Amino acid sequence: MPVLSTQLLVIGGGSTGLGVAWDACLRGLKVVLVEQGDLGQGTSGRYHGLLHSGGRYVISDPTSACDCAVENRVLRQIVPHTIEDTGGLFLATPTDPIDFPDRWFAACQELGVSAEEITTAEALRLEPALNPRISRVFRVQDGSLDSFDLLHTLTAEIKRAGGQVWLRHRVEKLILNGNTIVAAEIRALDTDELLTIGADFFVNATGPWAGQVASLADIKVPIALGKGSMVAMATRPIHTVINRCRPSSDGDIIVPVGTVAVLGTTDVEVQQPTDTTIEPWEVDFLLAQGEILVPQLAYQRPLRAWAGVRPLYRPTTGELGETRELPRSQIILDHADRDGLQGLISVFSGKLTIFRLMAEQVMDLVCKQMNIAAVCHTAETPLTMTSRSFYKLPDRLAKLEVTTSHDLPQVVCECELVTRLAIEEALRFASTLDLDEVRRELRLGMGPCQAGFCAFRAAGIAHELAPTAPASGGLTPFLEERWRGMVPLGWGHTLRQMELTRRIYLELLQTHSLPEPTK
Amino acid sequence: MTEVLIVGAGLTGLFASLLVAERGNAVTLVAQGRGGLELSHGCIDIWGRATPSRALSRLRKSHPYRLAGTAALHAALEFFEEITQQAEYPFPGSISRNLHLPTALGAIHPTALAPQSLAQGDLFDGTPFTLAGIDNLRDFYPQLAASNLRRAGIAVQSVLDLPIPLDDTRHDFYTSDLAHLFDKSNWREEVARVWKPQLIGIKRLGLPAVLGLRDPQHVLEDLQERLGLTLFEIPTLPPSLPGLRLEVILRRRALNTGVHFIEGPRVVGRIDGRSDGRRVSGVVLQTVGGPRVHTADVVILATGGILNGGLVFQQDGRVQESVFDLPVNYDQGRGYWTTTSPLDSQPYSGYGLLVNDLMQPLDAKGAPIFENLYVAGGLLGGADRTMEGSRQGIDLATAYRAVEVALG
Repeated sequence: MPVLSTQLLVIGGGSTGLGVAWDACLRGLKVVLVEQGDLGQGTSGRYHGLLHSGGRYVISDPTSACDCAVENRVLRQIVPHTIEDTGGLFLATPTDPIDFPDRWFAACQELGVSAEEITTAEALRLEPALNPRISRVFRVQDGSLDSFDLLHTLTAEIKRAGGQVWLRHRVEKLILNGNTIVAAEIRALDTDELLTIGADFFVNATGPWAGQVASLADIKVPIALGKGSMVAMATRPIHTVINRCRPSSDGDIIVPVGTVAVLGTTDVEVQQPTDTTIEPWEVDFLLAQGEILVPQLAYQRPLRAWAGVRPLYRPTTGELGETRELPRSQIILDHADRDGLQGLISVFSGKLTIFRLMAEQVMDLVCKQMNIAAVCHTAETPLTMTSRSFYKLPDRLAKLEVTTSHDLPQVVCECELVTRLAIEEALRFASTLDLDEVRRELRLGMGPCQAGFCAFRAAGIAHELAPTAPASGGLTPFLEERWRGMVPLGWGHTLRQMELTRRIYLELLQTHSLPEPTK
Repeated sequence: MTEVLIVGAGLTGLFASLLVAERGNAVTLVAQGRGGLELSHGCIDIWGRATPSRALSRLRKSHPYRLAGTAALHAALEFFEEITQQAEYPFPGSISRNLHLPTALGAIHPTALAPQSLAQGDLFDGTPFTLAGIDNLRDFYPQLAASNLRRAGIAVQSVLDLPIPLDDTRHDFYTSDLAHLFDKSNWREEVARVWKPQLIGIKRLGLPAVLGLRDPQHVLEDLQERLGLTLFEIPTLPPSLPGLRLEVILRRRALNTGVHFIEGPRVVGRIDGRSDGRRVSGVVLQTVGGPRVHTADVVILATGGILNGGLVFQQDGRVQESVFDLPVNYDQGRGYWTTTSPLDSQPYSGYGLLVNDLMQPLDAKGAPIFENLYVAGGLLGGADRTMEGSRQGIDLATAYRAVEVALG
């Protein structure tokens, strides 16, 4: 069994794990990060896209509110290319508690969360699609943040600094020497090989899997899993983040992200990190709540639904189904202190907005325990890709339009204007034929037709680049992944779209009669 | 003379309208949209999973084929062949042996009748073949198709990329762009000049389906002669040329035989108040200028299933028939409608109207609802057309049966 050694082994390739690895690199540590799937396949890639202003938590969780407010400003400096500066509004509707807006506004001022009251007329001028019956409106510093862009940037940065990021590698065993963790046994899922990585310190940043990973060292982590479902609408009737100004509850936010508007979220306790099945009532509820804020949503087509699993901290065994009440702030468990086990810290809960702060706090603790004097530099170090601007569909269109007729590029995905050239580059860069990976990079197949047309074309292009790979091996999983997001919305126009996909892939192309791909 | 009103302009509605006109009756065809032909491969699938003629007699009694009857299917096919022959767009093939045609993905499509340009691609024909892509066409990838065919044990002689002899250097073509070019004889001449040196030693050549829209049989024969080989076409993503061609042929004949078209308005059914609700009197058209009543002696509903708007699947878990609000056979509750993979059979595919062997929709007790209302095509329940490979066969057979009964 091959053995490697490093100073720090980070487990988990979401925003927290990558943040920790990046922070460690800047402090001069030798780092390896392992992730069982692809980047952001857990909670980081399954969120509504909100860069919090902090406003959501000023009443329920003041610490989180302050942290969000500070980190919001930091991220705008260090990763501006991942952020669309949409701004945000908090709206009180006639059915919301009448005294809440004043309490909320006072708390914002007290905590330093930037908020400004504007007239409802001004709000309707900014966002004509809002419910005209709103009674109070406050402007905040929300934004939308593309987590895949963030994770890709962090990964590139870690690799540039000499760190390693290993995808599709799962930790199967933690090896102890006395009461100190010294190594991890890791399975490379592509080849099924086992290898051992020795490290001076280990960080468990596996989000909803934190309990499972800790149990490899016989430690119990009191984690509760809160599934949150979201629905993306096929259009973007508002261009500002819309929050409901009332105590935190289900269905209180709409985030404009790329070409869609995301309605969030529900909160249902589940038993497994992979339990992301969406119930029909969740979708109905989110749509109904969304209509209260933006009435025309009733006539728009829901495009896709997904669910993420929040890893929440529940120190005592409470009753099931009350995950909405659990705090959202970050939890850092020092297992030396807590369980007498040296060399391991678990970090979970928190928000994507404060991932950098969580990483800083984890690394401060790691450095203290390792007797390293290095301090954190992430807050003042812009990531190198900051010269790139935030991706917008109109930018792609403008690029296509200025091209002369002699050089019109081939558009493979009409919904998101992805060209053949971009796909070829992405496939070469990713050194994979996984169309889902290309999707996360380019938004391929994320528009109204949900890959109904481009999946076939992308499979054809992928095959031209790697003719020896199993033909169309990537097509079926990609179609199935897109289908899963439509199933919870399977009625009306969305179900018609699904049927069109079936007409194309089953009746025209007969995909189901292809021989099984050989490995 | 019976005044017949047909609702729907897909394969079923157009075919039914031709049958009615053929018998010398007045027929009006109303449709909100265009039907699904341009989304289809343009062949006539009757039964994909086995030899059609043998499989059909073993179906359960509620299957649309059983209700329409084998005689209706045979008579429908005979009329269909007559129409396509006369339009000089012949469909070789037979109900007793499926053709096996390559798809653009390189899978095998079993189908009973196919236009000649597609039928010449039969994989068990024995003549070796080459697949060729056309530069800058976004919807055909011959390497991918060839790899998949080879995995299934089918020999593909070689794979080529053929250039488009155009002066400007566009990099992006749809199949319909190319079809319009192939309709021109000077274009074909130029193509043949450029392509011919690259095709030495090739007896049979497969191309994406782009060989003309207006007079495809002539384009095929002309290009075959110029290139000195057998050509076959493979249908691509919508807009699919073979589907479009079939639509053009059926519409052209309908207009020539006096079918009256009303296209665009939404259609709401109208019940005859004098008949104790036993008869329908026609429909109300929701035109821009307001509602307009259109009466008829007989109404044939050919509005299609979910894709074409005949069935409306609602958020509240109910499924409605869109014109007369007829009872639909389905499972109530969205959770039952779909499965987790798009490649599996879907429960919703089998939902639709229940009818008797006269193609009359039935109520919960199994009695006909209206005396003069008939249903055909995708609106009928009881068949999973996608998995059976039976879509066009059901459309033709049930249209034939409905017209036969309606006209007595």
